Amino acid sequence: MSTLQRILYVEDEPDIQAVAKLALEMVGGFTVKICSSGEEALREAVAFAPDMILLDVMMPGMDGPSTLMALRELPALAELPVAFMTAKVQPAEVTYYKSLGARDVIPKPFDPMTLASQVRAIWEA
Amino acid sequence: MSNEKTMAVAVAEQLARLRDDYLARLPAELTGLEALASGLSGSEIDRASLDELYQRLHKLAGSGGTFGLAALSVGARSLEQRVRGWLAEPLDAVDVQARQTFAQDVAALGKTLSEANAMASATLPDKGASAPGQCIQVWLVEDDALLGQALGRQLESFNYVVRLFTRIGDAEAAAQTERPDMLLMDVMFEQEGENSTEVFTLHPNLRALSCPLLFITAQDDFQSRVRASQLGAEGYFLKPLEVPRLVNRMVQVLEKLRAPSQRVLIVDDDADLAEHYRLALLAAGMEAEILQQPAAIMEKIATFRPELVLMDMHMPDFSGPDLAGVIRQHDNWSSLPIVYLSAETDLDRQIEAMNRGADDFLTKPISDAQLVAAVRIRIERARYLDEQINRDSLTGLLKHASIKESAGIEVIRARRSGKPVTLAMLDIDHFKVVNDTYGHAVGDVVISSIAMLLRQRVRQSDIVGRYGGEEFVLVLPECGAKDAHLLLDDIRQRFAAVRFSYAQKDFTCTLSAGLACSAQHPDSNGAALLVAADEALYVAKRGGRNQVRGGQLDLKGAQP
Repeated sequence: MSTLQRILYVEDEPDIQAVAKLALEMVGGFTVKICSSGEEALREAVAFAPDMILLDVMMPGMDGPSTLMALRELPALAELPVAFMTAKVQPAEVTYYKSLGARDVIPKPFDPMTLASQVRAIWEA
Repeated sequence: MSNEKTMAVAVAEQLARLRDDYLARLPAELTGLEALASGLSGSEIDRASLDELYQRLHKLAGSGGTFGLAALSVGARSLEQRVRGWLAEPLDAVDVQARQTFAQDVAALGKTLSEANAMASATLPDKGASAPGQCIQVWLVEDDALLGQALGRQLESFNYVVRLFTRIGDAEAAAQTERPDMLLMDVMFEQEGENSTEVFTLHPNLRALSCPLLFITAQDDFQSRVRASQLGAEGYFLKPLEVPRLVNRMVQVLEKLRAPSQRVLIVDDDADLAEHYRLALLAAGMEAEILQQPAAIMEKIATFRPELVLMDMHMPDFSGPDLAGVIRQHDNWSSLPIVYLSAETDLDRQIEAMNRGADDFLTKPISDAQLVAAVRIRIERARYLDEQINRDSLTGLLKHASIKESAGIEVIRARRSGKPVTLAMLDIDHFKVVNDTYGHAVGDVVISSIAMLLRQRVRQSDIVGRYGGEEFVLVLPECGAKDAHLLLDDIRQRFAAVRFSYAQKDFTCTLSAGLACSAQHPDSNGAALLVAADEALYVAKRGGRNQVRGGQLDLKGAQP
């Protein structure tokens, strides 16, 4: 692990995609790729070679947890840090998501000015 | 403007644009939801509609929250849950009453928007420290009201405006609509049985303030310290508080926010590439300019005053090392960082170039992020060194030689621009008595507090230096004698109002100041203008102290 630079963000809602891209690229200085579904993420992730993946939990089709499972099957991504993004952050759910192999959970809505530092903190944890 | 501030403004603008687009699309989305909701029939036929409603309400809850439409988000979230409940069971169990209420609630989502629009102006970020000249707003969250009031009073004498909250919840409520410049929090809240480093993240409004955060505490425990550090706290102070130390940290933190943006001069004959670098640096909140005429490099440096020069190695008329050599011929700029940006990978040639005055080598092609990071780090380091060399350790102000040099530069610049510069010399009255009566430690507090007052009252472009023991110099570019007089007299009055305490005894100090404006001394250089300001200061001292003198020419009797 060197530095956090490339982030793959999987989110189906275009408005949130736009804000997150802004927050991560402009404020955080990261290189960001957005995928609109779990399926798209599975196709694109290896080629993009992210340092970290952010996954929306609830998406139509493959949801966040099943996307995580499928990503973990890909050897290149088996160990990659992943964080879930979700509105419902009950402690039990956080524990559950972590048990799936996520490093942490970022509550939505996020603050565009601090999202990048939240992500960095999780990556460094 | 500081980097953070420039960035915050740029991000806020982009966010506002996205939000406007979103708000423009929203009515259609709400109408669509209403149509779906009112079309429910109370049977299995609804399943497709309800699936769609569930997805769309979920999206709405998420996007609404992202754009700060909290009421819309909460409303959509609760409707989403209701639909989820229905979907889990046979749909003919959903009675007509429930469907009607649901349709009404969906229709009511639109009503939250008008409130949200009113809120929007209040929630847009306004980061960075307040403008110089404004008071710094500090929120003190401390459950011990007596201690809070006492600390508040002391901070107020350092020109901070303090608002005391005795409960975290009160500060959380206030944070919904207001924003301090700094948050000062006690760690242990006995009454509520809470540790604020633990519960801070549970308060979304406080968390969203993203202003500097400092903790104060009676007990030093490692866990709280770690949590404070995780929260990005800028300080952790143990009670009983040493107020000057606390204030010193507060000043440092605010200064950091206020730090001017980094200035980079780009020297590259490839105009497109130079423009690309310029934009990349601008986007990172820096100021960047391109040198158009190599022959004018020293004029450009003198006017733009870059903190780093990004230099192409090979240019048609002059090479990078040639120009670096020219820069190094000037004593003033002998420590200006020069970084080559070149496709040169031959180590010997790199070393040769470095021998001729450059500090570092960046190899093309380089990503924007790498470029920004490389430049930022080098400028930060240069600034730090500059601080160590040129700043007075007690006050953080420029030292004698540096302020004198700044005065000289500004007088030359004023002559060129045709706008006046005013120099002010200030001296604390009877300072020896303070030292003799209360000791040097108290004297140092008086010195630091006037330094803080000066920094808070002047503009960003003004320069403040500690000229001698209790003597200070202000360089006020583009400021005539009259404005300077008003400013200095305001500073004089504020300083006289600051209460210092020593062994339960309060005392105050006053200052005298002398002004000299370049408009009145058109032929004077910096040194001569300083002498004129010093003479005016002498007049103020002889006239009874606690007054501002000089600059009468354009005051027309406004002076007492």
